[in-house]
Amino acid sequence: MAIVGRSGATSASFRRSRWLLTGVLALYFIYTFIPLFYVIAASTKTNPDLFSTFGLWFSSDFHLFENLRDLFAQDRGAFSRWLGNSFFYALCAGVGAALVSTLAGYAFSKYDFAGKRFTYALVLGAVMIPQTALVIPLFLLLSNIKLLDTPWAVILPQLVFPQGVFLMRAYIDDAVSNELIDAGRVDGAGELRIFSSIAFRLMTPAVSTVFVLAFVAAWNNYFLPLVVLNSSEHFPITVGLANWYASAAGGSGGSLLYTVVMAGSLVSIVPVIVAFLLIQRFWQGGLATGAVKT
Amino acid sequence: MTKKLLDTVFDAPVGRRTFLKGAAATAALPALGALGGTAMAQEAVELTYWAWTPGDPEMVAAFMKAYPNIKINYQNVGQGGPHYQKLRDALTAGSGIPDVAQMEFNSIPSFKALNALADMGTAGANDIKDKFVDWTWKSVSDGDKVYGIPWDSGPMGLLYREDVFSKSGLSAAPETWDEYAEAAMKIAKDSPGSYITDFVGSADAGWVAGVLWQKGWRPFHLDGTNISIKLNDQIAKDWAAYWQKLIDAKAVDTAPAWTADWFAGFDSGKYASWVCAAWSPVLMISAMKTSVGKWRAAKMPQWKKGDYVISNWGGSTFATMAATQHLKEATQFAMWMGGNLETAKYWNQKQYLFPVVKDVLNDPAVLDYKFDFYGGQQVNKIFAEAEAHVDPSFEFAPFQDYVNTHIQDEFAASIGGNGTLADAFDRVQDAIVAYAKDQGYTVT
Amino acid sequence: MQLAEMAATTATTGARPRHSSGTWGRRLAPYLFLLPFLILFVAFLIVPLLYALDLSLWKKALVGGTRFVGIENYQKAFVDAKFWAGVLTLVKFALMQIPVMLGLALLFALILDSGVVYLKGFFRVSFFIPYAVPTVIAALLWGYLYSPVSGPAAQIATALGWPKPDFLNPSTILPSIANIATWEYMGYNMIIYFAALQAIPQDLEEASTVDGAGAFAHAIYVKLPLIVPTILVTIIFSIIGSLQLFSEPYLLINIARTVINSSFTPNIYAYTQSFIGQQYNYAAAISFLLGAVTAVISYVFMLATSRRSAR
Repeated sequence: MAIVGRSGATSASFRRSRWLLTGVLALYFIYTFIPLFYVIAASTKTNPDLFSTFGLWFSSDFHLFENLRDLFAQDRGAFSRWLGNSFFYALCAGVGAALVSTLAGYAFSKYDFAGKRFTYALVLGAVMIPQTALVIPLFLLLSNIKLLDTPWAVILPQLVFPQGVFLMRAYIDDAVSNELIDAGRVDGAGELRIFSSIAFRLMTPAVSTVFVLAFVAAWNNYFLPLVVLNSSEHFPITVGLANWYASAAGGSGGSLLYTVVMAGSLVSIVPVIVAFLLIQRFWQGGLATGAVKT
Repeated sequence: MTKKLLDTVFDAPVGRRTFLKGAAATAALPALGALGGTAMAQEAVELTYWAWTPGDPEMVAAFMKAYPNIKINYQNVGQGGPHYQKLRDALTAGSGIPDVAQMEFNSIPSFKALNALADMGTAGANDIKDKFVDWTWKSVSDGDKVYGIPWDSGPMGLLYREDVFSKSGLSAAPETWDEYAEAAMKIAKDSPGSYITDFVGSADAGWVAGVLWQKGWRPFHLDGTNISIKLNDQIAKDWAAYWQKLIDAKAVDTAPAWTADWFAGFDSGKYASWVCAAWSPVLMISAMKTSVGKWRAAKMPQWKKGDYVISNWGGSTFATMAATQHLKEATQFAMWMGGNLETAKYWNQKQYLFPVVKDVLNDPAVLDYKFDFYGGQQVNKIFAEAEAHVDPSFEFAPFQDYVNTHIQDEFAASIGGNGTLADAFDRVQDAIVAYAKDQGYTVT
Repeated sequence: MQLAEMAATTATTGARPRHSSGTWGRRLAPYLFLLPFLILFVAFLIVPLLYALDLSLWKKALVGGTRFVGIENYQKAFVDAKFWAGVLTLVKFALMQIPVMLGLALLFALILDSGVVYLKGFFRVSFFIPYAVPTVIAALLWGYLYSPVSGPAAQIATALGWPKPDFLNPSTILPSIANIATWEYMGYNMIIYFAALQAIPQDLEEASTVDGAGAFAHAIYVKLPLIVPTILVTIIFSIIGSLQLFSEPYLLINIARTVINSSFTPNIYAYTQSFIGQQYNYAAAISFLLGAVTAVISYVFMLATSRRSAR
């Protein structure tokens, strides 16, 4: 995909642009990294040090392993449970949302059917309703069907990912040509067969994008699990850590857990980075095949 | 066996706080296991219990040992606000309501208004009423009806930095609010960058209620569906004028409270004192690093010299929810958690909650304990005496959360430049009267 | 809706799905493909929405119970000064934040797509990471960085003898929150633009001999117009997201009491009305009114842009 021309590769102005642009990106990287660096540094400090030393550098007392040990020991290993929960919810939501959105995006992109415009407009319109309006009714609905305080209460609502539908539709419009589909039909393949063996392969970069976006959205979700879950054993890390942080900053009866929260925050960020790195593979491969059109 | 179990729990890293060492502490533990005496062979019952105070899992385990037929499912569903929100959500849905829940003193009227609290008096709660400090029992009961078993309390007092005060020539703690104001001016002059305290009105309506309570402020009185609302009476206005003067003179800070910066301010001497509650001394100990030995405790400043009027800030109870299917067992649990002597000792000695059970409060080991952090002072004595002087006639609103939000918002607006604190009270009064009328109360 | 049209048509061949009186499977297929999404959408979005609508037509009081009040809640919300103050705050916020965030996202996506820089993969991942950080944690971290006493900016300023920067006063609070939102979501939008750029078929690209400057022009005049539909989608979603702003200011309330109060944004207002004032009915009305305001603003935006983009 590089725009690098045949004779341009070694020109001085090109090399200059290369360094300049890399520099621009590097500057933004530093900005991006400052809060993350704070988490890393903070996770290595003791509680009193946290408040008295310079935030963006380490203290002389390196306490990371003790903090990690405290983190996983706190509340009888609650954090490991929460971590597992977050993973489970995010994975289910990510896979589910990607699948469902892909099917729907394909329908909107490649078919004409009664009610298409209305449905599409409805989906777009529903996105404009603030989440806070939906939380209480959702809570009551889940309570009625006895799903409250279960993993389903968190996963099911998050399978609805309208942004995914829009993204898939836009991508499929571009990436999957009608000629290809018609060719499949002429060959006698059924619609589902065309979708799964011909079209799907061309969609993988976008499907993996939607998966990542849905996974991360579910991983980060705080408000929904806060309302629909009561038992600590079902909490994801967002709710769990926020609870601990509230205890840390609170008054009578609470102990000071700032360092544990910092260590927990550090651990929360790592899995998603790893997930993203793994997904990269699909991107590289998929892009090469998806870009070549017949 | 029990001792071993409890010992391993107490040796967990985060729970290790050994400021109140005492033979009594470790000796109490084995006794907890031998409490099965009152439990009789009964049908198996399962209860759900919601609370956020650390130490609950240990005490729940001990209770289950003493009452083998009752199984407790303990959950921490949030600290403070979120916990009450969950309760309300469950009440709205009509399901998922716990049997027993932590209920702070100031939230009892709100849940009583929702008819959500069970009367434990009918299940024998009055049997233990003499064990508790009088005003705490008065705050949870209505004649023979009992809506909560007191757990801990927060009689108010003063913590101050002896070194900063000495620098301004103040050798003893201020006894009256006038003296406090004078000290404020002195400290602002002698120690630039330091304040006598941080005015936390915009961050903590609980503190506001506490200090105004002491002055005689009685903003609410509920009688059936009639409610009298007097938030902006002369008492409030005088109090507002007092603090406004200090704010305008920059003798107190107006920074946000309950933040890392705020704690650092106490540690560094930027804030030289804190008008606080009985749970504060131990909180200070765990929050401060460099100011060990520099703090002292004192009686809460009085409005009239020689008075001994104290208010309460904070403190929780064990409440049983009306929806419970097992009122008797739930009451047994609540009574044990709050009234059992060994349990009460645990709350005080291992979790540093200020006791409401008379026997624990009057225990010499508690009263005479000398705190190194406070220069060897017997801090508990000061607060124990204060506890005996709490005037229980203060009533919280059946919609106290809403009132608190308004107080905080309007104080914040005033501090931000929109009028004075006195004006803030007027705005709050208008808003709350409108709200009460809107909610169907007859406002007098 | 115009957006549907814009997003649906492509830049290249304007692929229109063909309609033929074909087999059963062919006619049924779109509905079957759509079914899983629709079932979930109806169950977990439409049904709660209708229930919320119903809620907004009643009123529950502590004394007297619940009664039907029709549009009374909406009338009250329509003249509620706190609500409109919140909307105004968010309009200012959106004007401040969206151009910066999307501008950067576009710039970086173009740079990465051009292949001209070193460490492409590294930058792509690292710019996305803030999106992977839960908002609760992001607010915690930035709250610390903004802290007027122990934050690093304050510490550095003191060390250098400069006046301490104040990130949390009435005139700086919006940019401070905008900064957090940009930090969180720039990477997300960048990835979307990047995927769209990468999806442009290679045969449309001229393998011309370009050096640094020419590549830039190539990016602006050739590639950019091809992803305009995607850009418009992200703008719409950013507008919607801005008007629904809740988490970031809400989580900063503790350290910015004098500037962020319980009605700072309409969503915070609805939240405090529900969860603290027990006014679920009124909160539902506020939420729908906010939805209506959002719809109007989005629609106006779409009208304005469809007139300009020749499709």
